Amino acid sequence: MHPDLILAAGASSPAIADAVASAIRLTTPLLLAALGAVFTERGGVVNIGLEGMMIFGAFWSAWGAYTYGPLAGLAIGAVAGAIMSLVHAIVSVTFRVDQIVSGVAINTLAYGLVRVASQALFHSATTSPSVPSLTRIDVPLLDRIPALQPLMANLSPLIVFAFALVPVSWWVLNRTVFGLRLRSVGENPLAADTLGINVALMRYAGVLISGLLAGLAGGYLAVEQTSMYVEGMTAGRGFVALAAMIFGNWTPVGAMLASLLFGLADSLSIRVTIPHVPYQFVNSLPYILTIVVLAGAVGHARAPAADGVPYERSGE
Amino acid sequence: MKRRWVSLGLSLLGPVSALLISAILGAFVMLAIGKNPLQVYAVMISYNLGQLDSIGSIFYRATPLIFSGLAVAIGFKAGLFNIGVEGQYYLGAFFASWAGVYIKGLPAYIHLPLVILFGIAGGVIWAWLPIYLKVKRGAHEVITTIMMNSIASAVMLYFIHDVFMDQNQGTLGAPRVRMPPIQPTARMPTMLGFLHAIGIDMPNYVAINWFLVLAVLAAVAVYYVLWRTPFGYELRAVGQNPQAAEAAGINTKRIQYQAFLLSGAIAGLVGLSDLLTYFGYLDIDFPKGYGFSGIAVALLANNNPFGIILSSLLFGFLERGGLGIQALAGVPREVTTILEGVVILTVVTVTAIIGRQVRAYERHMAAIATAAEPPVDTRAPGGGQ
Repeated sequence: MHPDLILAAGASSPAIADAVASAIRLTTPLLLAALGAVFTERGGVVNIGLEGMMIFGAFWSAWGAYTYGPLAGLAIGAVAGAIMSLVHAIVSVTFRVDQIVSGVAINTLAYGLVRVASQALFHSATTSPSVPSLTRIDVPLLDRIPALQPLMANLSPLIVFAFALVPVSWWVLNRTVFGLRLRSVGENPLAADTLGINVALMRYAGVLISGLLAGLAGGYLAVEQTSMYVEGMTAGRGFVALAAMIFGNWTPVGAMLASLLFGLADSLSIRVTIPHVPYQFVNSLPYILTIVVLAGAVGHARAPAADGVPYERSGE
Repeated sequence: MKRRWVSLGLSLLGPVSALLISAILGAFVMLAIGKNPLQVYAVMISYNLGQLDSIGSIFYRATPLIFSGLAVAIGFKAGLFNIGVEGQYYLGAFFASWAGVYIKGLPAYIHLPLVILFGIAGGVIWAWLPIYLKVKRGAHEVITTIMMNSIASAVMLYFIHDVFMDQNQGTLGAPRVRMPPIQPTARMPTMLGFLHAIGIDMPNYVAINWFLVLAVLAAVAVYYVLWRTPFGYELRAVGQNPQAAEAAGINTKRIQYQAFLLSGAIAGLVGLSDLLTYFGYLDIDFPKGYGFSGIAVALLANNNPFGIILSSLLFGFLERGGLGIQALAGVPREVTTILEGVVILTVVTVTAIIGRQVRAYERHMAAIATAAEPPVDTRAPGGGQ
């Protein structure tokens, strides 16, 4: 590492813990959306619309938090994301339209809808008033250690929830009947159909889970991270989350590790100044990393066999 | 002959019913924000068709969308999704602006074509990395081009703000973040003089210009290349079934590579109508979003170049109408963005449903034909199903 870069990031241990804490905060929305992407893609449906579902979740959670408080706000944001994903499921699963086209349309639709809704509800197209956040939590005992304090004190409960969701997702995918069925329709829908599994139902479930989590990811950005809705606050994170899921080889743990990498890049791009490199390029670090990762990941990554392929019963 | 009319009717059925459904869904959005949709649509139509400058403005707004729709359509035809038209036209506009500002002393008939070539080069350069990574590494072009769009914004900010910012903007107010003005020799003239000569007098603020003619020529050229050349034949074969194309001896990777660069080349032209006619300088607030609108334009036209001209005019109508309903009916213009998204969803869904019905009908007819043929079969026709 360049010596100036270390200086800029700060070499003392509280500062490092501070940087790590910032990276973890920025990882959280990516992780939530990437976990959702694991579910939808393991079921065989590509969801490029994550970005739109996130921005939809961010807006409606801000509105919900403003009106009913932070917890209700986050729930409303998650439901809003799920409603958007329902559109995706109807169009791409029931009508078997190209999943990428559908996802792109959802991004356009969500952008337009939140602009209009924001003008109608907040009388501003681009921002909401400030909204309340969830009560912060401290991890008992560990928050007393000064070096760990930035990591263990004043945490958003949603951060803990997101990371706790990783083993839960692993368990659901690998140890439950639902997970087995979901994976089977993503690998070989014809075989699953022959065994009496409702392919469309399973795929709806996968897509809806991704919408819920993408909406929650947007809710984290608006309610927990910024305490307000700002237009464009997702800044491509839905797409970055997709790349993280691919880099994580379509698994929850892999998605978490990749999200941490992107979260770190995100926090570096905000916090670090590198001499002789324009800040605009430093800010682009997460995007550049996404391209590098996608170009490099393909060697070992393996998508579910029927990922992105609409399932059509013959003779229908 | 009759069959041809039937298939033309079927291919129009999709877009027309999609537009009707979109108009109805758009009406629900207007009801939700407390506006009378019939009144809003009436305002949109009378504002758009009631005055000559609106008509000119619709053609002016359609110009970048034709280029953008063509760029997206070439990708779709080759089985590629170029969401990167957005970033590619930023770079095209930057390259063209650089050549328009800093290359000096050329006559207009050399300078202007040169600047247009620079625009094309910008688009090609920004399209190169995603398709290279797709062909060599299998990185999905959708995500890489979206990332390239974000990086393009950063690159533009850097070049416009940090490197090439115009330092001689006079003393009135804060300086704008923009490049120096493009020289007169590189500006594209409006069509107002020509229109006046054929008896149409538009107000002089209408920016309808010769890029419209170039866009129509580009549509003809894309049609010719895709449907009348061996390259176009191979390109469409790759888009329809890459495995079959590969088996037939077509180098699918080479075709996709070339198709994507061609798409980028046309994308490089998207911003030039605004840059070289209306603004005359590259501003940080240069119009954005044409790349995304191009996706809707191409899908609505089912990637047909002549259909793209029509759907661009429709989107130009919607955008111009968006201004009208904002000013006269108090409806946020983003309602038209919602309509754009709804149009994409409904057109692809309706097309999928119609396609399925047609296939089922053809299977049914074929089944009747084969069942009717063997005279020894005593069962009722189609009874074997």
